[in-house]
Amino acid sequence: MLKINNLHAVVGEAESQILTGLSLDVPAGEVHAIMGPNGAGKSTLSYVLTGRDGYEVTDGSVELGGKDLLDMEPEDRAAAGLFLSFQYPLEIPGVPTMTFLKTALNAQRRARGQEEMAAPEFLKKARAIASELKIKPDMLKRPLNVGFSGGEKKRMEIFQMMMLGPSFIVMDETDSGLDVDALRIVADGVNSLRSPERGMLIITHYQRLLDYITPDKVHVLAGGKIAASGDADFARLLEKEGYDKYAA
Amino acid sequence: MLPSAVIEKLPHRRMEAWKWTDVRRAVRDEVSGLSSVMTPRFTAPDGVSVTQGAAHPSDHVMGRLAQSFSDQSWNIYIPRGAKAAEPVLIEDMNRGHGRFAVMVDEGAEATFVEYHKGKAGSFANIEQNIHLAKGAKLIRIIVQDDPDDMTRIATSCIAAAEGTKLEQYILSFGGALTRLETRLYGEGANIEAVMNGAYLLSGSKHTDMTSHTELSHPDCYIRQSVKGVVTDKAKAVFQGKFLVRRDAQHTDAEMRHDALMLSERAEVRAKPELEIYADDVACAHGNTIGALDDSALFYMRQRGISLAEAKALLTEAFLASVFDDMDDEDMRESLMGQIKNWLGASYGV
Repeated sequence: MLKINNLHAVVGEAESQILTGLSLDVPAGEVHAIMGPNGAGKSTLSYVLTGRDGYEVTDGSVELGGKDLLDMEPEDRAAAGLFLSFQYPLEIPGVPTMTFLKTALNAQRRARGQEEMAAPEFLKKARAIASELKIKPDMLKRPLNVGFSGGEKKRMEIFQMMMLGPSFIVMDETDSGLDVDALRIVADGVNSLRSPERGMLIITHYQRLLDYITPDKVHVLAGGKIAASGDADFARLLEKEGYDKYAA
Repeated sequence: MLPSAVIEKLPHRRMEAWKWTDVRRAVRDEVSGLSSVMTPRFTAPDGVSVTQGAAHPSDHVMGRLAQSFSDQSWNIYIPRGAKAAEPVLIEDMNRGHGRFAVMVDEGAEATFVEYHKGKAGSFANIEQNIHLAKGAKLIRIIVQDDPDDMTRIATSCIAAAEGTKLEQYILSFGGALTRLETRLYGEGANIEAVMNGAYLLSGSKHTDMTSHTELSHPDCYIRQSVKGVVTDKAKAVFQGKFLVRRDAQHTDAEMRHDALMLSERAEVRAKPELEIYADDVACAHGNTIGALDDSALFYMRQRGISLAEAKALLTEAFLASVFDDMDDEDMRESLMGQIKNWLGASYGV
């Protein structure tokens, strides 16, 4: 599904080397977690995968479902099925959540050569998912994320994710800003999306989220590459022992 | 009068109020309309009269020029207490000098919709003298869209009596040189005015929104918000002035100008001014010039929205607030529709 091979990337005008030969394979149907100390390159990985300006790949390759991701514009990567749940979701003033999402969904469908989704069907789907995530219908009329609390923004990321139905999901520090109840709602949403056709990469500093979303594999990202890998229990060990021994 | 003699009378950049909008330099003597009289078309609802008659003398540079071609003006009268059900439409202001006098009599309410759309290679000079009698209410909606070799100067002088309400919404797509100037003179207490505008300029178009608001009586409330977007080599000018005289106590006035510059070669000139002689007032002005937020654009692209569409959505959202207070939903939709069309064409959505 997602194949990252020997990925090197630099960031910003200073061109600091953040990823230094990262390789990772997440097959369809699996959920992998990436843990690591601050500054290890976790967020950089999420931005390199999604094609943000200012993150330059100097070597290596990334394929999603056999397609070369690195050659694509961010919107084409999204249409190819890649979704990033942002650590800090952006506020989009003046654009109502529903307008935003309908525009996004139909842009992706057009790019994939599918029919646009009609308004009634879209509304019905949005209402059902909103109620599952305990999002008040009123919030969907408001400009996206404007004035929302940290927890509401994260819930809105999951809402978008469930509406768009991507084939590969990257979650960047999704648990930050969530209380236990919100964490459970978010995790239930994510778990409902687990399927044999879909892969997920969960980037997190703490093991807490992994109590609710059990990963198939856990990797440590340190010094710009995968320093160690293990199963779900490995996350608990890391939480106990810390990342010191992996530090470069 | 020969075209060259008309050009001699046009304002130019060595005049402070015209320093960023040099009309004399923009106009060539072969343009049409330089020495002719405008023939506008009116659609007026029952009870509103449109006649031609003797005009009042003008004390404004462009008004005086119009006056040298005609001592007549189009006089539009909204009788006392009348509440016109339909708007007064003014169209075909496509070239020449046009003079208008509008009287909204005591307690009357009217909406004016003006379409300023010219023809290639033309010049238009419009002078409007508007009088709002006690308790009158006027809504003005002004849509301007000219070819890129057309010059248009439209000057409105509005005298507002006690207890009057004015709402003005301008949507400007520019021309070779466009100046839409509003001069509001408060002649009584308790005046409420909203003077909003949006400009969207591409290519080498130029729009100048200049306003002068002069208050001499207490308890007036003014809100002004002008927002715009410039791309390519377009140029926008905003000049706004609040002059609050000593007796205009408890004035509550706010002026904002916010511009998006989407190209390095585009230009925005802004000059917000407050001149205040009363000591118990709340007056403010603000001015920002910036670009679209890169982080927001990336976020939208990550959701599958193309760069062009993301820019269009953010720009539309930025401009929309200018028309938020409009009561007429259909008119608001129509203005937003024109904005969407422009964004679609200019950003290549």
